[in-house]
Amino acid sequence: MDAEVEAGAGATRDFEIERKLLVDAIYLKYHYDFRAYAGASMKRRLGAAMTHFGCATLSQLQDRVLHEPPLFPQLLDFLTVQVSEMFRDPAYFLALRESVVPLLRTYPSLKVWVAGCSSGEEAYSIAILLREEGLLARTLIYATDINPQALKQAEAGVYDIDRMPAFTENHRRSGARSSLSDFYSAAYGRAALDKSMKKHIVFSDHSLATDSVFAEVQLVSCRNVLIYFDRALQDRAVGLFAEALCRKGFLGIGSKESIRFSSHADAFDELVPSERIYQKRGAG
Amino acid sequence: MFLSPGNIAASSLQAAPLLTGTPASLARRSIGLFALPIGTFAGFAVAFVAALVVAFVAWRSLADRSEAANRVSHSLELIAQAQALLSAVQDAETGQRGYLLTGAERYLEPYTASLGQLDTGLARLRDLAGADPQHRQQIDKLASVVRDKMVEVDETIELQRRGQTDTALAIIRSDRGKIAMGRIRASIEALTRGENAALDTSQAEWQETIRVSSLVSTGGSAVLLLLIFVAAAAAARDYRAQRRQEWVRTGQVRLADAVAGERRLDLQADAVLSFLAEYLEARVGAMYVADSSGKLRRVAAYALGSGAAEPVGPGANLLAEAARGRKPVRIDDVPEGYLPVASGTGRAASRSVLIAPASADGVIQAVIELGFLRAVDAVDEELLGRIAEILGMAVRTAIDRQRVQELLKETQRQAEELQTQQEELRVSNEELEEQGRALKESQEILESQQAELEQTNSHLSAQSEMLERQNNALASAQSELGERAGELERSNMVKSEFLANMSHELRTPLNSTLILATLLADNKGGNLTAEQVKFAETISSAGNDLLALINDILDLSKLEAGKMDVVAEIVPVARAVDALRTTFEPMAAQRQLRFAASIDPAAPPSIETDAQRLAQILRNLIANALKFTDRGEVSLKVFAPDAAHVAFVVQDTGVGIAPGQQSVIFEAFRQADGSTHRKHGGTGLGLSISRDLARLLGGDISLQSEPGAGSTFTLTLPRHFAPPAAAALAAGTPAAAAGRTVAAPAPPTFDDDRAKLKADARLILVIEDDPRFAGILRDLAHEMDFQCVVAHSASEGLAAATSYRPSAILLDMNLPDHSGLGVLDQLKRNPLTRHIPVHVASVDDYSREAMELGAVGYALKPVKRDDLIAALKGLEAKFSQGLRHVLVVEDDARQLESITRLLELEDVRIVGVSSGSEALTRLQASTFDCMVMDLNLPDLSGYELLEKMASREDVSFPPVIVYTGRSLTRDEEQRLRRHSKSIIIKDARSPERLLDEVTLFLHQVESTLPPERQRMLRDARNRESALEGRRILVVEDDVRNIFALSSVLEPKGAHVTIARNGREALEALEKNPAGSAEAIDLVLMDIMMPEMDGYTAMREIRKRAEWKKLPIIALTAKAMKDDQEKCLAAGANDYIAKPLDVEKLLSLVRVWMPK
Repeated sequence: MDAEVEAGAGATRDFEIERKLLVDAIYLKYHYDFRAYAGASMKRRLGAAMTHFGCATLSQLQDRVLHEPPLFPQLLDFLTVQVSEMFRDPAYFLALRESVVPLLRTYPSLKVWVAGCSSGEEAYSIAILLREEGLLARTLIYATDINPQALKQAEAGVYDIDRMPAFTENHRRSGARSSLSDFYSAAYGRAALDKSMKKHIVFSDHSLATDSVFAEVQLVSCRNVLIYFDRALQDRAVGLFAEALCRKGFLGIGSKESIRFSSHADAFDELVPSERIYQKRGAG
Repeated sequence: MFLSPGNIAASSLQAAPLLTGTPASLARRSIGLFALPIGTFAGFAVAFVAALVVAFVAWRSLADRSEAANRVSHSLELIAQAQALLSAVQDAETGQRGYLLTGAERYLEPYTASLGQLDTGLARLRDLAGADPQHRQQIDKLASVVRDKMVEVDETIELQRRGQTDTALAIIRSDRGKIAMGRIRASIEALTRGENAALDTSQAEWQETIRVSSLVSTGGSAVLLLLIFVAAAAAARDYRAQRRQEWVRTGQVRLADAVAGERRLDLQADAVLSFLAEYLEARVGAMYVADSSGKLRRVAAYALGSGAAEPVGPGANLLAEAARGRKPVRIDDVPEGYLPVASGTGRAASRSVLIAPASADGVIQAVIELGFLRAVDAVDEELLGRIAEILGMAVRTAIDRQRVQELLKETQRQAEELQTQQEELRVSNEELEEQGRALKESQEILESQQAELEQTNSHLSAQSEMLERQNNALASAQSELGERAGELERSNMVKSEFLANMSHELRTPLNSTLILATLLADNKGGNLTAEQVKFAETISSAGNDLLALINDILDLSKLEAGKMDVVAEIVPVARAVDALRTTFEPMAAQRQLRFAASIDPAAPPSIETDAQRLAQILRNLIANALKFTDRGEVSLKVFAPDAAHVAFVVQDTGVGIAPGQQSVIFEAFRQADGSTHRKHGGTGLGLSISRDLARLLGGDISLQSEPGAGSTFTLTLPRHFAPPAAAALAAGTPAAAAGRTVAAPAPPTFDDDRAKLKADARLILVIEDDPRFAGILRDLAHEMDFQCVVAHSASEGLAAATSYRPSAILLDMNLPDHSGLGVLDQLKRNPLTRHIPVHVASVDDYSREAMELGAVGYALKPVKRDDLIAALKGLEAKFSQGLRHVLVVEDDARQLESITRLLELEDVRIVGVSSGSEALTRLQASTFDCMVMDLNLPDLSGYELLEKMASREDVSFPPVIVYTGRSLTRDEEQRLRRHSKSIIIKDARSPERLLDEVTLFLHQVESTLPPERQRMLRDARNRESALEGRRILVVEDDVRNIFALSSVLEPKGAHVTIARNGREALEALEKNPAGSAEAIDLVLMDIMMPEMDGYTAMREIRKRAEWKKLPIIALTAKAMKDDQEKCLAAGANDYIAKPLDVEKLLSLVRVWMPK
């Protein structure tokens, strides 16, 4: 019994060593920095990847990743959790409409940063919301992610038609001023989002772990991204947001996330606490 | 009774208003009767009784005295009445005798008068006698003898009247009257005697009473005085005790205040310790907190060096003893070296030490150790004893809070973990569904494929074997080929290198030969014969031929090695032909030949090719034609044989070439006739090189000739040069951005005032790495009555600015770790330091940047002493100036009024104007801290106003906030952004933002330099020759960056053109083509942009021949090395990482700016 426990602990320790080696290898070879991703979730996802690639140990996986570059994009799909829907958590979008949009109206031009945009649903949701509020014309949305595959998908802006009913319901509950169907056309079992919105969205590869701020923005929406990071990386990311935001700019994060324990917590005031919408403090 | 700590805290808090209250409230407290201490109360009681006794005695003696007085007056009246009675009787007797003698009635007058008196006198006497029986008896007796006398008198008088005078006289002679008179006298005498005795007695009594009463008053006063003294002493003692209690209670309350609020344990401990040290006047102290194992860990120290902070186990020393004993331990006569008190100049042992435990609910939480330079008394101990519970609670609360905080963090982590799991579940769910569907589909396909597969499998295995074999063969062949190619490459390289070396070796001596030969041929000395001069000329010309040969050989070898670079650009045909004409017309004339050049109208005006090479080919052909022509003409014609090509035809009327020779002349080192070159000079390499060059440019040279009929060389080139696909030219050399990584030198110890700062004095922070200059500044600061702290690096300076909060800062620009601009920027961003005026001094000129970042002044090193004094005075004026000025430019009166109302803050003076010209006048007259303006003004548009403000030197330029109801296009916004810091669109929530922005800018202040001084700075020093007049295209989407870049580049004299994405960049380049006056010299390219990103834009630019050499610096937010390599691969010459470092950017721009 004890021996078993010990063996289990040993295996865990080995796995931990291998995990470190693997993320270091990925960082050195592909410049993707997963070193500061939260341990437990990473472990599960690596476990799934091992099963998928038929590797008994992480070391084997590492070997393959290093020597078979085409394998890496597939592994990347495992390491980044790509899941989203349009107007996910409608209350969040309702809060944006009610509490943030009125202030955004006072800016002559707007920039929005959707960090960790995955396959683009969030970015399009914000674009639709801003169009409904008459602000999209003077807005540029930066949608960034580290997964090029997901970015490609996002840029295409084509989704399964099966998902549309759920999206429509979310949209309705977000305080919609029009019908979601105004913003897409459906054919061949797919729904393609209105191309004119894409003019206002820049899809780009950007890593919150390694890259720096690229523009001054009025709103950062980064939901369910921080949960994958460890505390230090969360700090870095929130620091980037604080730096990117103009004075009194807005930050929205996921419902289970909090910047309360971040070292940048002081840079923000809670604007809509229930929806985790913060406002950057004006200096002084 | 058990008192919960909560109760204690609550009661202390309730006591607070009383203790700190007014005398009135103190009085209110003592309203309760008998609230006095027993002693005081007894004293008061005794005093009360004494006063009563004294009063009673005085009253009694007064009563006695008045009684005695009554008695005296009574006695005196009695005596008087008796005498009066006697005289009345005598009067009656006198009257009787007179009547008897004379018989005259008139002698009876006294008698009749006395009759009334006798009755009233007796009645009065009876009255006076009162109830005294003795007196009554005497008076009765007196009355009876008086009656006897009066009977005798009456009898005699009656007898006389009746004429019986003798009888009457007989009666008289019987002495009856005389006896009666004697008895009356005796009786009155007895009465008088008795009364006199009574009078004496009364007087004696009176005297006695006076004596007793004075005795009693003296005694009573003495007793009262004594009591007053005793009461005063008691009150003083009570007051002192009360003061001590009050001090202890105030201490408790203030400590409770100090530990109130949510704080971390260490901060809490610091607050407690510094409070106690201050309150108890302790000079040194430490606080220990008990951990779960009961060990005491030091968490805070007051004026104590970071000495041994080992945890202390239970029972190990006095701390632990104090903790165990639950009460303060006091040590007097502390030995040397125990808990020493140290300052900058000395150290001494504490005189006494107090160690006090603090517990909560009976559990020791902390121990405080305090050292004093005075003797400790019982009150100190009492205070420490009293606060133990409060302190214990505070410590426990802090520990609990810490624990709760950690638990909260853990909970948050778990919530996040839960969410990740949920997210992952969603993903796998979606995947599973997807896979389910896919599986079903593929199952069917698989089944059908299975059969096919099995069939093809056998085929495949056979084929794969064959392939394997072929592969092996191929691989070995390939490696062989590779080796060969390598060898070739190597030998080629050796050859080229040899040639290059050789030509250099040859040129050096040749060069001096040529110069000397020319000198000789000039025959300046005039001492050479004509023949000798000719020799010299021959040497010179032979040398020139040799040089040409060497150059040709080099060219040829380069061409052969494929190392000749082609730089394609737009070449206007006419200009190229003109250049040739200028060169060759004189030469032709010299040889008496005609040279004609013509361009077919149908020929394209320009072609895209390497201009230098084209000229080289044509020069070769024409020179060749001239050489071989003795008569007639040489002509150059340009025409277009087809849409894609241009032909240059060089025709001569010379010797011509036989058909057999025609192919040979293009081979290297061959001429049609071996002898020709001796006649005509030349290396014979020209044609060969020309053809190779023509081929390199994608064209060719053809020849038609007949001996004697002249020759025609035709150069055909493509209209647009297309480089061979494989030979993509690497653009530029990536110079790794040279980062300034100078290790910060260890800061020299500097003698400043930081150790002896006085809290109330004005402090200047000097951030300067040069200790000599820092010393000068420090001395100057002292001279002007400032304290001075010196920091030697940017980081040290920033730290000092936040910790010392100086009144003003003198900042150097060149610091070892960061640039001064960075420091300034950070100072102005930090709300704690933003208000501090900063004066900048530097060797380099960054005045405009510094001013824009909010410096109040700028001095260029070397700085004169007077300037420094002026700077310090300016700083002083700045930080002592309180009033801020805001200029509001708005033509709508109501709007103006509302903005003014909105911005009416304390210390803010608002000047409202309604037109642009008025605004300019105001700006000319004074400086403002901030300006709010509308875009629609009656006289000038907002843009014009801003531009006027920027161009005119005599108006100040405060930070501008554009407040407008118009929605702006991106172009308009960009235009405004150059001059205004902030743009606000009027909307429901805009006033809030306006107020916010104005408040911000009120703390950043424009220069206080006089206008001419500012202009001087701008004119004389701001220009930098490398950038002066150069055109820089900034391709950037972010307004903040655009603003930053223009504000860095424009002051240096560069013209900045803005493009917001790749497409606009290309358009901007097209609009200002190479060669025109507006041509772009350098491009700064952002990567992440809408429409067309930076990578694509750079690739597009590099596709165009004329932009091949255009320097491009990429601005990237990506930090990874391969991202930067990607920039270089896309065509950037260099890159710089965001956030932009101004210094680095400027140096890169200088490096890449074409000279």
